[in-house]
Amino acid sequence: MLRIGSAQGFYGDDVTKALPMIEGGHVDVVCFEALAELTLAILRNDMLKNPARGFTWDIPIIAEQILPAAFKRGIPLITNGGGLNPTGAAEVVRAKAAQLGLHGLKIATVTGDDLLPRLPDLIAEGERFTNMDTSAPLSLDGPPIVTASAYLGAFPIVEALRQGADIVITGRVADPCLYLAPMIHRFGWGADDWNRLAAGIVAGHLLECTGQVVGGNSLALVDEIEPDALAHLGYPIAEVKESGEFVLTKVPGSPGKVSLETAKEQLLYEIHDPSAYITPDVIANFTTLRLAADGPNRVRVTGVTGRPRTDSLKVNVGRFEGYSRELIFTLGWPQVRRKVQQLEGMIREAWAGLAIERCTFTYLSVNSLYGSLGALPDDPLELAVRVTATARDPQTLKQAVRRMMALGLSGPAGMSVSGLTVGADPRPILGLWPALISRDKVQPRIDICEVEV
Amino acid sequence: MNKQEQPVRRLYDLAYGRSGDKGDICNVSVIARSSEAYAELKAKLTPERVKAHLASLVKGTVERFELDNIEAFNFVLHEALDGGGTRSLRIDALGKSMAGALLYMEWEE
Repeated sequence: MLRIGSAQGFYGDDVTKALPMIEGGHVDVVCFEALAELTLAILRNDMLKNPARGFTWDIPIIAEQILPAAFKRGIPLITNGGGLNPTGAAEVVRAKAAQLGLHGLKIATVTGDDLLPRLPDLIAEGERFTNMDTSAPLSLDGPPIVTASAYLGAFPIVEALRQGADIVITGRVADPCLYLAPMIHRFGWGADDWNRLAAGIVAGHLLECTGQVVGGNSLALVDEIEPDALAHLGYPIAEVKESGEFVLTKVPGSPGKVSLETAKEQLLYEIHDPSAYITPDVIANFTTLRLAADGPNRVRVTGVTGRPRTDSLKVNVGRFEGYSRELIFTLGWPQVRRKVQQLEGMIREAWAGLAIERCTFTYLSVNSLYGSLGALPDDPLELAVRVTATARDPQTLKQAVRRMMALGLSGPAGMSVSGLTVGADPRPILGLWPALISRDKVQPRIDICEVEV
Repeated sequence: MNKQEQPVRRLYDLAYGRSGDKGDICNVSVIARSSEAYAELKAKLTPERVKAHLASLVKGTVERFELDNIEAFNFVLHEALDGGGTRSLRIDALGKSMAGALLYMEWEE
């Protein structure tokens, strides 16, 4: 059996949740999943300011607070928090490990996912990067491209583990494949053992959002789970057998709950066709599996099936499309409806002639989440109006705000503007362009260095 | 109790769920609270009905996937997040609350 802990589900998650898993002897390996769709663009911004960056800030925390305890017990750590710069992340880990006296620690990096420097060549070679949603081919003209990362699979990590890595730092590896890798390594599953690979993917998918499978973001447990438990959830663990069967559980004795309900909620989280969950390593079928209660906080998962992987890998291209700005105005009784009309009309008039591309007016707690399912009351007691606008350049938005604020004493009676939004800078807009690339055009690379003290 | 005082029955009474994003696509799981509820939803919670309920939020098509094994559905809503990611001007750009919007559907059957 292999026990896999999950201690990170996004950039900024509480990675110290790995400590009770490691120190309590509950896991054989811990994975840290750090990359959401937009995270790489955030990291690109960091890297433009400082070329030595481009990895997540979680990496130095893992190196300082988790790695010593894990290394002592021979528990490998696997993270995709290397982001756009796994090599830079490895250097930070190496320096910290040397300082902590972790002699002989092996640090592996997995790279080759970042296609940005290769984009012109790849297009010249015939790759079209057709948008999976709109079917449009990618053009290098237009808004600047800031990221182009292929989703790698588990096998480069497997190779790093085979070479004895104590910590594996990768770039854009597909979330569940981080978790699949140690299973392939431990059990020697074949690259075409589709049912077992698919079972590992399901385990990874259930683990990859940490708190969300132990009571966080759970509508099923809304009446049951207490606020103090939410603040201290024990993070999930999968106990996987060589056959691919596994039990989903969490750190023993920790707050939270693993149940059939939390497993179902997470199983269907951010997926498309449940009979064809496409990953770089296998296409997993979620419609054949069985979930069974296996004692308190334990759910047994069996019967996962899989099909051969595709010939392509997904690539997410990030384009920098402009800026957005948000302001919140408050209005109180009386005559709220009339005053909203005045506010919106006044703003549109003030912005006349500015190159504003999109503009929205929504009412917080009325229709900002659920659209027309919500309706403004006939005579509201109070109202918060959220105004957003976009433009190609930040100066347009700054001017828009200046023009609006200049009307501060000319506006509807009793209006105020939220202090939180007045001084803010325009926010960059990143458009995502999902595409595919031939698998043989992407060559993952594994490097290993050993810490000398 | 007369008719006005009866609480409105909603999809939430039959199911729970969770939602999330992939670009401008939002997916919503609808997980039946009982086998009877699953059968009823399978017959009546059509993609057309979901699309009509969420018309002001979802500009594209709605796909429904069934999971008999766990008595649940996955609804995939296209062009559902005002462009998605940082392109979206919604306060909930990632669609975390979309499950609630769907479960709010009145269920008179």
